[in-house]
Amino acid sequence: MRDEAEHEALSGGVTLVEQFVANAEAVGCHVHRRTGPDIEGAGVSTALYGLADTGSVVLAAAPDEPRRNSLLPDVHVTMLAEDRILPGLDELFAALGPDLPSALAIVTGPSRSADIEQKLAVGVHGPREVHVVLLPPA
Amino acid sequence: MAELAQPSGRFREIARIKLADAHIQQALDDSTIRLRTHRLDAWSALPEVQELRERAHEIRMSVIDDLDGHVERFTAALAARGGNVYFARTADEASEYVANVCRRRGAKLAAKSKSMVSEEIGLNQALEAVGTKAVETDLGEYILQLAGEHPVHIVAPAIEKTAEDVAELLSAVRGKKIPPHLEDLTNAARTQLRETFLNADVGITGVNFAVSETGSICLCTNEGNGRLVSSIPPVHVAIMGMERLVPTTADLAVLLKLLARSGTGQKLTVYTTLLTGPRRAGEVDGPEELHVVILDNGRTNLLRGRYREMLACIRCGACLNVCPVYRKTGGAAYSDVYSGPMGAVLLPLLVGLQQAPSLPHASSLCGACTEACPVKIPLHELLLDLRRDLVAERVAPWTERVAFALWSWAWSRPLGYRLSTALARLGQPLAGLVGPGRAWARVRALPRLGRRYRDRR
Repeated sequence: MRDEAEHEALSGGVTLVEQFVANAEAVGCHVHRRTGPDIEGAGVSTALYGLADTGSVVLAAAPDEPRRNSLLPDVHVTMLAEDRILPGLDELFAALGPDLPSALAIVTGPSRSADIEQKLAVGVHGPREVHVVLLPPA
Repeated sequence: MAELAQPSGRFREIARIKLADAHIQQALDDSTIRLRTHRLDAWSALPEVQELRERAHEIRMSVIDDLDGHVERFTAALAARGGNVYFARTADEASEYVANVCRRRGAKLAAKSKSMVSEEIGLNQALEAVGTKAVETDLGEYILQLAGEHPVHIVAPAIEKTAEDVAELLSAVRGKKIPPHLEDLTNAARTQLRETFLNADVGITGVNFAVSETGSICLCTNEGNGRLVSSIPPVHVAIMGMERLVPTTADLAVLLKLLARSGTGQKLTVYTTLLTGPRRAGEVDGPEELHVVILDNGRTNLLRGRYREMLACIRCGACLNVCPVYRKTGGAAYSDVYSGPMGAVLLPLLVGLQQAPSLPHASSLCGACTEACPVKIPLHELLLDLRRDLVAERVAPWTERVAFALWSWAWSRPLGYRLSTALARLGQPLAGLVGPGRAWARVRALPRLGRRYRDRR
């Protein structure tokens, strides 16, 4: 895993956090700083990692991280510590090693489909809205 | 008995119907151009795309070189995580295994996410026979299931359906009129299928990739149905072609970077899920049982021969969107499952050339498919080789074989060559009236044969 200063130098001054925010918004996520939105019925999760290249959040199933929180409600709010943002997939799998959780979900934006007349519909089966709350490094 | 999805066997007949349908022509044009443009944009935004394609080809071929070893390692790794692996030699064995799981669990309802392999083995019929109703949950596949039809594109299965068609189908299920607007239709399907996810006794999915080292299966979906089907029901059955394996998660990363970009132009699908065994101690959801069915169904026959590269296919659909034949005929002319250049190569290999003699000809050999393939399968070369096999195996009609034998004999001799060109010039006025030239001349002017270069001096 490259450290942030090194990556910043590589990507022409854009930090991983800035890159993450731009890409997450490009795929339709709402990004918040420090405090999350107060939405009734929202499912809340804590992301294991974020991926700057794709604007994805990485969720790992665990006793206190049920799969359904990020699946069944209309709105999914996920907490992501800024120092958990990695450049991309290569760094993610390097960081995870071969010992994987029972379910790892790399979530890139809200549920979508283009199955009807090739037009984009959002919120087909999964959440219609994904909110990412960026938290300061732990 | 499960019914193996067979090639349509009526390529020309179905193609003619689709060609005459203005709506379908428009839909095919719109969707294939859109998907192709998105792929090209995504590829050009990725500076290392050519290196990734090379690397992806190497990774896929390294697995094919040692497929048995990979199946073994995957099986052991998943078993260590509490998953069950079943190796099915045939479509029937695979269907029977899944049907047995359903019977043992007394399953009335199975929620399915998109799986080309389940179409290949005719799984839904096999489940029906044991009293399990299989409901497709991918929006496109659900629409097709309601219509009693089959997918016509790997990544966009229902491209031929209009919003009005969909409204009619969903209204019939709902028992009330649903307007043909995208948002209303999506909401109606969401409501209808939500019950399926929550009530299903078994969840059935395909597999995009499986990792030998970790025993994980990887699902790529945009709607979230793949995640729901593999998280909510108490049993998850995943079915995969045996060639879906990749060695490590580092290799998986290479293929994931190419799959969505080549299929839809996205960097990643919305949900990329990596599953490693069933629910673990202390977890409150996830399946209690995980079964992975690894399907051979003719694939090992390809391992050692000329066509082994076809096993590298990652089912992205990029070759369909650039194929001048597919873009006019659509998928149904090929088969109920696989279509386009990848289908035209794969189907004859899986079911035998005798069963699919028209498919190697469903190509102009322009090579656009090969250029679009993210894992660099030489698709048009494989199609040409299949045509050679058609002749060698005497599957081609005797008239074609005799014609080519005569041609080869005549053109290997100067006299025969001169005679043939002289005869061709003499016969030219007749070419538009009889023989194969007639079909061509109906819609176009036949080119005039010039004098031989030698004779012009």
